[in-house]
Amino acid sequence: MNTGVNRLNSTFMRYHIETREAQWRFKLPPKFRVKIYNNCVNVQECVQACVYNVHRVGEDGRVAEPVEELCRGCHRCTLSCPKGAICVELNPAFERLGDSYFTPERIENIFFEAETGRVPVSGAGYGGAFSGRGFDSFWFDFSEIVRPTRDGIHGREYISTSVDLGRKPHNLFFDDSGNLVSKVPENIEIPIPIILDAPLSSSSKSNLNLALAKSASILNTFAIVSADDYSDDLSDYGSNLILRIGPNEARKVAGLIKTSPIVELDYADNALDENRITDDLRFVRKVNPAALVSARFLGEDSVTEKSEASVKVGVDMIHLHVEDETVVHDPDVVKRIIRGTHTRLVERGIRDQVSIVFSGGIAEAAHVPKSIILGADAVAIGLAYEIALGCKVCHGSKHEAGCPLKVEEGDVELASQRIVNLVGSWRDQLLEVLGGMGLREVRRLRGELGRAIFFEELEMKIFGDEDDSE
Amino acid sequence: MKMIQSRLAFKVPEVKPAVSKEPFRIGKFEVLLDRSKCTACGLCAQVCPTYIGSAIVEYEAFKKPSGILRVTNARAMCEGLVCRKCVESCPTKALTVRINPQYLILGDKRWTADLILSTWEQAESGKPSGRYEYRVGDSGGGFDKIRFDFELEEEVSINEIFEAEDRDTSIVLNRRRDGRPEISIPIPVYSADMSFGSISLRVMVARAIAAKAWNTFTSTGEGGYPNELIPFKDHVITQVATGHFGVNAETVKRARIVCLKYAQGAKPGLGGHLLADKVTPKVAEIREVVPYISLFSPFPFHNVYSVEDHYRHVQLIKDINPKALVSVKVSTPIDVDMVAIGSYYAGANILQVDGGFGGTGAAPDIAKKNIAMPIEYAIPMVHNYLVREGVRDEMVIMASGGIRTAFDVAKIIALGADGAVIGTSELVALGCKRCGNCERGRGCPSGIATTDPALSLLIDPEWGAQRIINMYCSWKKQWNYILSKLGLSSIRELRPKNEVKFRKGRFNHLVHLDHLR
Repeated sequence: MNTGVNRLNSTFMRYHIETREAQWRFKLPPKFRVKIYNNCVNVQECVQACVYNVHRVGEDGRVAEPVEELCRGCHRCTLSCPKGAICVELNPAFERLGDSYFTPERIENIFFEAETGRVPVSGAGYGGAFSGRGFDSFWFDFSEIVRPTRDGIHGREYISTSVDLGRKPHNLFFDDSGNLVSKVPENIEIPIPIILDAPLSSSSKSNLNLALAKSASILNTFAIVSADDYSDDLSDYGSNLILRIGPNEARKVAGLIKTSPIVELDYADNALDENRITDDLRFVRKVNPAALVSARFLGEDSVTEKSEASVKVGVDMIHLHVEDETVVHDPDVVKRIIRGTHTRLVERGIRDQVSIVFSGGIAEAAHVPKSIILGADAVAIGLAYEIALGCKVCHGSKHEAGCPLKVEEGDVELASQRIVNLVGSWRDQLLEVLGGMGLREVRRLRGELGRAIFFEELEMKIFGDEDDSE
Repeated sequence: MKMIQSRLAFKVPEVKPAVSKEPFRIGKFEVLLDRSKCTACGLCAQVCPTYIGSAIVEYEAFKKPSGILRVTNARAMCEGLVCRKCVESCPTKALTVRINPQYLILGDKRWTADLILSTWEQAESGKPSGRYEYRVGDSGGGFDKIRFDFELEEEVSINEIFEAEDRDTSIVLNRRRDGRPEISIPIPVYSADMSFGSISLRVMVARAIAAKAWNTFTSTGEGGYPNELIPFKDHVITQVATGHFGVNAETVKRARIVCLKYAQGAKPGLGGHLLADKVTPKVAEIREVVPYISLFSPFPFHNVYSVEDHYRHVQLIKDINPKALVSVKVSTPIDVDMVAIGSYYAGANILQVDGGFGGTGAAPDIAKKNIAMPIEYAIPMVHNYLVREGVRDEMVIMASGGIRTAFDVAKIIALGADGAVIGTSELVALGCKRCGNCERGRGCPSGIATTDPALSLLIDPEWGAQRIINMYCSWKKQWNYILSKLGLSSIRELRPKNEVKFRKGRFNHLVHLDHLR
């Protein structure tokens, strides 16, 4: 088996993601605005009160302009000003970030994770809504007393976050003398259940693709790159790239197929056509028999049928994608797509003959294990890393000043470090969740609905009528 | 008999004013004055003598010829957009009334600005003003969607609450008849486990004074037993948690209740974490560790991996202290009912169920939001299971994690708990604004969740204790009122005798707004 660890180094090494401070060339607008009204008569109580150094005494001996980036919204200065001169308010520029799903708080967290690689930690209890839709409509279960937890985050126990890409045979055949006669298909093991989806936005793609390829190679996972965007600088990272080819493109890029470990056939814009999948598959197998072949489907429409059909004709991976914008308007779509497809394949007894990669609406670390609990093997992140590099979540509508997501040539190193940091932080958070659940590897989480607590079910069980819940 | 005596001996503590020490206070509305238009005619002060008339706008600031001034008043509140008398009376249109932007950033969906402000009011004067919502938050589920049926029928008036006659709100913390004392507390709450380290020593002392005045309990949390709490030892629960910081035979023997903490609702399945900055020499001394090193408590107890281990664990405490009640604190996995029955057979007197929205000094956001279920689900599950097993009347179930108000306490009792354990509300009474910065640097800027010697001086223990006492005085009145509305003589009658089963959104005087038919 081609394991991620072995591809890196021939001796065994614990998988570890090296994170490093990586400041991007701009910052998010500060969350708070600190206004000093004319009531101020320079008593400087605020300077004494603030523990974050927002308020300082300027060179003229008077209270200087507040440093808003440092403000944590603690209200100390406002309450301790005897003149009531200070007013801390939410910065409208911060509030305008993102949308109702990619909220300013989520964007702020992604920015923090990409900059530091650390896990967001805070004090006080959770202050958000009781429950929500989509990924927010269920909680993780965890171990208590009689089920041992695992301590992954502080490194005392090793928790594996590796997953396999590719098909596994339904059963094995042996001859009379006990020798294996089945041909066992190649699998590729990646050390994290996260791959990097092809960029969504169009600006400065080549540098962005280079940064993605670089990050994928550092993380030892994969980045998806469209055949159209393939350039020579990427050839160094070939073993970490998934080649995505559009409809009827396969024959034009035979050369690229030959060198790619995974080939993704993109059926996003097409209705189900088994013959075409069979055709394409046969062609790819002929050019590169070792490559894994993935089929990518867009949206919810008959996705379970398409998935079932493509497993039957022999693809190794399914990439289920839903537009981020669709998730914004209908967050529950993620549950229906992943759970629906996974359940269908389980019912047909063919779930293990394919790996499912899900992408769309992945906006925070918790969405990785939540996708896996619903039935995916791995996720592909797209908008999340774009946010880390400055995307303002306009969903394709143009910014007046052009797309702010730009990876300049000199930025490639930094951009890939930010992506590595983001994934590193998300992996640490995955370890927290797995440890809390007492799981020693993420593979065991796949489709484990028993490890999820669903809001709708509990709500009906406790507060609904019994007749309704049955 | 003994119980009755102790109840007779107890006298409800008095409300004494404990106003905020901050010179400014946050109101919902405020008035802005445009100095370039103002002619200082004084009309506004005449139409609004309480607010603008006694406002504190410094003469020196007023001398400035232009600019916007906030008209602030530490005593009175602006009535807001419904009044606007000042705006209309102003001949030069120099005044505007607006919603205070600070009110808008205060709090969150669970602890709304209204809940924080009304808790402050109750802490100051033992009574909510009625100006702010004091019963529910805005989280869109659980307590915030549950009402008592009388709340739907008519407006609840503050005056009516404060005229309600006294009812029995006491609960007994041991119903096992195991020869251990039947400790009774006059209100159905005691205060939650918060360690020295997560909060300051002065805050711990304030909570202990309040617990003594109310003849109830507070807890050491996981950070050891500071000597300053010894005078209150009859009202302090010794917590034994996985880090065993400062736990020894002496501190276990000292307590009337010992709490075995298995999990914490905000970060179940994960250990405790006190960041290095907060491990000051004093904290380190009590925890018997090196200063300024991050402290991790493992999860779980590595000597408890089965119900049999759990039994031995409980018995160990019982052997060390033959008079103490044993409380077992667990969080809320989907099989929390199994855990509960296990603890019953292990011999626990009290089961504290800590829901997923509970407080913490520091936890990863992913854990706080996504792990474990809310207490509103867990309590009915545990209650129903113990009823079915026929042991409900022997166990005392205390609910914690996300219980914010007197009405929350009453609701969780009506859902099957005996009482509640209160943490965050006490801190809010002391001036916490839920800004969530407890864990970083020097800790809480309000001097509550901090170990910084200078910052912790912001809380005076006597003053803080009075604020907590006042809050519970207000809560006690609200419980009296709820019981009298429901025609019950004791809060123990509010707990359902049978299984919790909602029919058309109703059960045991409760109404769930989303399921009401």
